[in-house]
Amino acid sequence: MKFSIFYLAAAVVSLACALPAMAQSAGQTSHLDVDQLFATTCGWCHSDGGRVAGKGPQLMNTKRSDDFIRYRIKHGKEGAMPAFGSTFNDADIDKIIQYIRALKPEQP
Amino acid sequence: MNGKQRKFALSLALAMGTALAASTAMAQTIDSKRIEANNPNDWLTYHGSYNSYHYSGLTQINAKNVKDLSVSWIHIPGHSTRGLQSMPLVADGVLYYSGSYSRVFAIDGATGQVLWSYFPELDDALVARQTHSPYNRGVALGEGKVFVGTVDGRLIALDMKTGKPVWDTKLIDSQKLTIGFTGAPLYVNGEVVIGSQGGEWPVRGKIYAVDATTGKPRWDFQTIAPTEETKKTWGNDSWRVGGGGGWMPGGYDAETNTIWWGTSNGAPLYDWSGPDWMHTGARPGTNLYISSVLGLDAATGKLKFFHQENPHDVWDFDSAVGEFLMIDRGGQKYVVHPNKGGYIFVYDRTANVKNVWPMSHNINYATIDPKTGELSHRRDMTAGKQAELLCPHISGGVSWNSGSYDPKTGLYYKIGNEWCMHLDIVKTTPVTEPQVQLNIGANFQIAPPPSGPIYGHLDARDPITGQTKWEVRYPEPPLASVLSTGGDLVFVPDARGTVHAYDATTGKELWNHGDGTGHQGGIISYAAHGKQYVAVVAGFGGMASDDYGPTFGGVFKSMPRDDGALVVYSLSK
Repeated sequence: MKFSIFYLAAAVVSLACALPAMAQSAGQTSHLDVDQLFATTCGWCHSDGGRVAGKGPQLMNTKRSDDFIRYRIKHGKEGAMPAFGSTFNDADIDKIIQYIRALKPEQP
Repeated sequence: MNGKQRKFALSLALAMGTALAASTAMAQTIDSKRIEANNPNDWLTYHGSYNSYHYSGLTQINAKNVKDLSVSWIHIPGHSTRGLQSMPLVADGVLYYSGSYSRVFAIDGATGQVLWSYFPELDDALVARQTHSPYNRGVALGEGKVFVGTVDGRLIALDMKTGKPVWDTKLIDSQKLTIGFTGAPLYVNGEVVIGSQGGEWPVRGKIYAVDATTGKPRWDFQTIAPTEETKKTWGNDSWRVGGGGGWMPGGYDAETNTIWWGTSNGAPLYDWSGPDWMHTGARPGTNLYISSVLGLDAATGKLKFFHQENPHDVWDFDSAVGEFLMIDRGGQKYVVHPNKGGYIFVYDRTANVKNVWPMSHNINYATIDPKTGELSHRRDMTAGKQAELLCPHISGGVSWNSGSYDPKTGLYYKIGNEWCMHLDIVKTTPVTEPQVQLNIGANFQIAPPPSGPIYGHLDARDPITGQTKWEVRYPEPPLASVLSTGGDLVFVPDARGTVHAYDATTGKELWNHGDGTGHQGGIISYAAHGKQYVAVVAGFGGMASDDYGPTFGGVFKSMPRDDGALVVYSLSK
């Protein structure tokens, strides 16, 4: 019971955080917190929240098109990037692309 | 035994082994007794022997003639996504090794002729979703079979002579949990032991034992909170977020029938708890049994003893490194185990701490009391950008690859890594379903240590005291395993693609040769038809090596991450 309450509370907090930035794509809705997503998953390879190259390329100021990024997120790249097509819906991926386009160098 | 007697004994063992290898009719089945006997002609288990020495007693290639070492044969396994990371094994003159996607090859050790190959059919859609995949770090041998784990959660036994599957056992629901097996199994007394991936995945990793004959599971050990008592070490029921596992093969103490195995970190990998980690943060408490060494009864899997090297590990400095050197000295029986954080732990045979010494020079996550193993001056961080670098870097003060202990010199040859990282800890919501796979809990970036550039070093150390006899430095940390031999040699395959041979006593470089691409896997020595060989896998790419291109540039910018070769050397004269 303790566990259920704890995670229910966490889920509510997470939802509340995500609401202002909710994205929609072809009727789909995204509750994804992309800042957190980089800290849990993407940042392993795209260093400093995607601002600099790590195991994967720098995402800030990328010249790649939205379509290219969308395809890469969905299908991955063998031996380099996992495929997230079964994890994220189109609205989620749109939100990730928005995050990448908005990346700026961090203020010292 | 004096020096002359020891040399005679080694020569006798070599001669006996050569005769054995020459006659396949005399080939004995591989069981624990044969592995323990450690015939230098063979390399029967990942760590070379149950005592984890990564040492070959062969003397044909030695400090005087190593200048004449040249390539004898090469094998290209193909489709080496993320390079080659495995440790070849040899029995009776036949070499067995695995490549990416758990492809297994049996090759005539003298000629390089492929005797058979086995390519398992994997769940491609799952492999495409995985992060730590599709590399494989080795096979095990026993009872006429070759055992290999797969990234889709299976353990497979192949007939040693034909390569045909004997059994194929699904141990992990990888389609749901994402994790599988990349580490080599360990054969012990009729069972095959293998540890799952774990760490930063929202999954509770396990160590499994399977019957070598039938493939039926015998026991498993849950590394995260296996009992009600240990659940209390995970506040707020945070044991559900997972971690642990044990992704490298451990060691075996035959005297007590005990398997030694190291476990991974917890999830999220970085916690924002700060110093009050017993009560706050993502996983309040010590979090048993992450970042621990375990002593498991080989017959039952029951925990006999343990030592948690980094209680409440918040740095990913786990204990999954698989080396457990069993060293007898001065009437004491020691076990030496490197921790990813760069410290080397020295235990007695029930994991009581006898000493702890730093292998890396740049460690600032904690200080460890050499008498008790207790941590002090811990860097327990809170959320936000950390003003001070964290050292070592997440790739470790030591790699998952192994060092080598030479019983003749009494020295432990081990690579240390000098690198650090910028870190921004992010408070994340608990991840209990493996939908986006990982739960790291931070953004980070590799950085040189405060004292100067990144580098790596091969040290010749006393394994018990840590005293250094000599050191060789490299501009980039070498990631592969190290081999020492009875020929007074130490071999180091480096990251740029050169294999170096050093004088075991002085550290003087005596020979080197380029393999054409970086190394990050195993190196062994064996004999076939009376001739000694050194076999090394080359092929770059993976969690540590993928940082080398952007960090070091140069040869790493164009180094392939989907290629590899097994290169085998022998004396040309």
